Amino acid sequence: MNDPRITAYAVGELEPAEREAFERELATSTELQHELAETVALAEQLTAKLGDTADQLDDARRAKIFAAAHSGEAHRPWARIWVPAMAAGFIALLALVSLQTRRESGTSETSLAATEPQGVDLMTAQTVLAKSGGEPAGIALAGQATPPHPLLDAVDGTPPEFDVFIKEGKAAPSDAESSETGALLAEAKNHLEEGRYDLASRHSEEVLRRDPYNTAARRELEKMSTEVSTFASNDAFNETRSRISAPFSADAKRKAEAEVPAAPQSTANRGVWANTALATGWDSPQAPGQVGGPTFNTEAYDSVTPNGFLDVAGNPLSTFSIDVDTASYANVRRFLNDGMLPPSGAVRIEELINYFPYDLPAPAEDAPFSVTTDVTRAPWNPGHLLARIALKGRDVAPGSLPPSNLVFLVDVSGSMRPENKLPLLKRALRRLVDRLSPKDSVAIVTYAGSSGVVLPPTDGNDKAKVLAALDRLESGGSTNGAGGIQLAYETAREHFLPEGNNRVILCTDGDFNVGVTSQSELVRLIEKERESGVFLSVLGFGTGNVKDSTMEKLADSGNGNYAYVDSLSEARKVLVEQMAGTLFTIAKDVKIQVEFNPATVAGYRLIGYENRLLAKEDFNDDTKDAGEIGVGHTVTALYEIVPAGRKLPAERSVDPLKYQTARTREPAPASEDLFTVKLRYKAPDGDKSRLIEKAVGNEVVEFEKAPVDCRFAAAVAAFGMKLRGDEDAEKFEFADIQRIARESLGADPGSYRAEFLTLIEKAKRLHEESGASRE
Amino acid sequence: MTPQEFLTQALERYERPLVSYARSITGDLESARDAVQETFLRLARQDFKALEPRLAPWLFFVCRNCAIDHCRKVVRLAPAEDDDVVPDPGRSPADDATASEDAEQLRALVEKLPEKQREIVRLKFDAGLTYREIADVMKMTVSHVGVQLHHAIQTLRTQWQRANALP
Repeated sequence: MNDPRITAYAVGELEPAEREAFERELATSTELQHELAETVALAEQLTAKLGDTADQLDDARRAKIFAAAHSGEAHRPWARIWVPAMAAGFIALLALVSLQTRRESGTSETSLAATEPQGVDLMTAQTVLAKSGGEPAGIALAGQATPPHPLLDAVDGTPPEFDVFIKEGKAAPSDAESSETGALLAEAKNHLEEGRYDLASRHSEEVLRRDPYNTAARRELEKMSTEVSTFASNDAFNETRSRISAPFSADAKRKAEAEVPAAPQSTANRGVWANTALATGWDSPQAPGQVGGPTFNTEAYDSVTPNGFLDVAGNPLSTFSIDVDTASYANVRRFLNDGMLPPSGAVRIEELINYFPYDLPAPAEDAPFSVTTDVTRAPWNPGHLLARIALKGRDVAPGSLPPSNLVFLVDVSGSMRPENKLPLLKRALRRLVDRLSPKDSVAIVTYAGSSGVVLPPTDGNDKAKVLAALDRLESGGSTNGAGGIQLAYETAREHFLPEGNNRVILCTDGDFNVGVTSQSELVRLIEKERESGVFLSVLGFGTGNVKDSTMEKLADSGNGNYAYVDSLSEARKVLVEQMAGTLFTIAKDVKIQVEFNPATVAGYRLIGYENRLLAKEDFNDDTKDAGEIGVGHTVTALYEIVPAGRKLPAERSVDPLKYQTARTREPAPASEDLFTVKLRYKAPDGDKSRLIEKAVGNEVVEFEKAPVDCRFAAAVAAFGMKLRGDEDAEKFEFADIQRIARESLGADPGSYRAEFLTLIEKAKRLHEESGASRE
Repeated sequence: MTPQEFLTQALERYERPLVSYARSITGDLESARDAVQETFLRLARQDFKALEPRLAPWLFFVCRNCAIDHCRKVVRLAPAEDDDVVPDPGRSPADDATASEDAEQLRALVEKLPEKQREIVRLKFDAGLTYREIADVMKMTVSHVGVQLHHAIQTLRTQWQRANALP
């Protein structure tokens, strides 16, 4: 079909007006639909496969580029046009000047600017130069004495063109008229940056009225119209594209499936059409330019630099926020079960450790949690000590929990369609709804391209109504996370229970691709909403497109927790067994600060919690946000300690100070303590923190005699370190970890520890395989 | 942002697509690398701040000129050769050893497209430029870009189906 609109539509380049017309045609023509489906499939193939990683510069060339940046050859825009021109001849210079003036006073004879604003200047410049100097610009410029790169600058003449290109609209005004236009233009620019499109366009139009050839104003207008239309139509576009494609993508799917048995022996001959019909964006529409579907992994993880050893003299304090999240463990398990070693950014050791229930003493009457400490030897380095700091939140009998005001914010975008996302989520939420008491209220807000309330706040005893609303949830469209989050918080605020648990539960794969998509903006939005006293839980779903980092940051900044749900059994753990912990906060902004004693400790490192570290000043600063602890939650932190008198591994040396004598702080009167733990926390609705302190003596228990939970936590930590490729754990084998874990299974309620054993086995095999393939 | 940071980011983002693009013009990797090196040397001398909003079209435009220039020089040095530079569609097997079969096939088909269409396909799908930016790079109108790209897609679809037709 010879209609360029098909391609333009497929790559998201059709203007809004044309797009609407095209969509109307599309709805009535199956042929057009077929063409479009194939074009989109090919476009996605091209986007994914055209790039060839072999196409790179070599190091020598790269070095030369950087040398050029250093050598002070940096930008001298005018010099590069004017100086060579002067060297070449006075006529050329005059020509440029007259060009400049003429263009600015609007008397230029050429009207090309109207249709081709960019690049016109060179054409005009060259014509003028050629006319007046009798020589083309390139040759005229070649006369310069010692240009840095004579060939580059002169022969093809491209850089001057672009210099002119850049300088437009900024040149000093030559008369009153253009100084006014300059001011107008600057104002227009400001308005545009601030999003006041109407004012901006009025200013730019005024400039054009006075100077029809003012390319800068024209470009500003153009930029504005794209910005406005992108802003307004992305939403609608994504929505419509998925809606329109839904009927025939199902058709294509059937066809593709029918085709498979036709050529069963040769998958290569089956062609991409069958594959792509199943694998491309038709199932999960995404913003243009993004590649999705099972074949392309677009999961996002932040990179993590493991905490290194710190010497006690320089760093006597270690401060961090607690983390009760467990998402990383479920995610790592998913990778291993799929036969892959997880990327190191997906491994958050503290979340692996805190995934498991530990048997810890209940807190004293008035405290929200208890603190337990142990010191043993690090199994991976017997010369080092391992200290465990474990907290346990107060348990509350299910009957005496405060009422809940829950708002489920459910992502129903196209990417949520797979079985392990929305369908799993619906089953998981059913279980939670079963547990609700009549005092509770539930609402459901969905979001995709646009957001809406599908279930207004409903009593917990009207379960049928809630379940019916859950059943009606269907996926389709793009993901406007920000819009949904605002609406959910609004709904929660409207039915705020002053004595109760007010919480938004965000269920998503985290891929926000419409509206506010930048992580920092979402975080700001949630931080603002947090003030209202509504907490946030994030449940992550799915594979292949998990934006792990986004979800974790959202939960952190919303006074909440983050769990990753990869199976119905995980859903049961998070939403049923540990429902109270997930949903009821007993203390917020829990921070830990450990002061090490230089008399007994040379250095230490905190295992995990890399993205939870706080500055030492933050500890006493009640405005600094930190982690929450829920009903019955346990939190474990491990320190690897280098005893005094031993050298730190890979210690980086620093020259002794020149202007200060080594100022040793006066040692406190002979203390044998290893360290002191200090904890700060606030009541869920409080603003002022309370402090708990506990000193830990230098009594080391041999590893084999350490408490079962302490040994098991050490095994999990070592496992995480291995998966991250941590050097200190390199010589410690998976087999060693397996042995420790097997010997420290304990009572293992829920058999989570037994499952951990199988994961070690899988990781061990994968590790051997990847090791073998490297050799 | 310091010039070094700017350059580093520009390299990270555009080095690979630029080399691929230049190679589709010059036909060999070494001259493509020369063209891209020249492009970045010029970039180092630009006013980064002013350039930033249209960095992509600028890079590809300059790169295109460098690559075409290179072809002209080669032609001047070897006048026996045909004036139209025919790119070498064959790649060494080692280059593609790791590429999937589909990718290899797809790239080969793209290489066979007419010169302009080949460039537009690369700029659109490999470099991710908009029609407007492609129009700036290629010095053609936006609607012409659309027409050319559509032709290219049609050709690719037909050829792909022929290549993968069921026996």
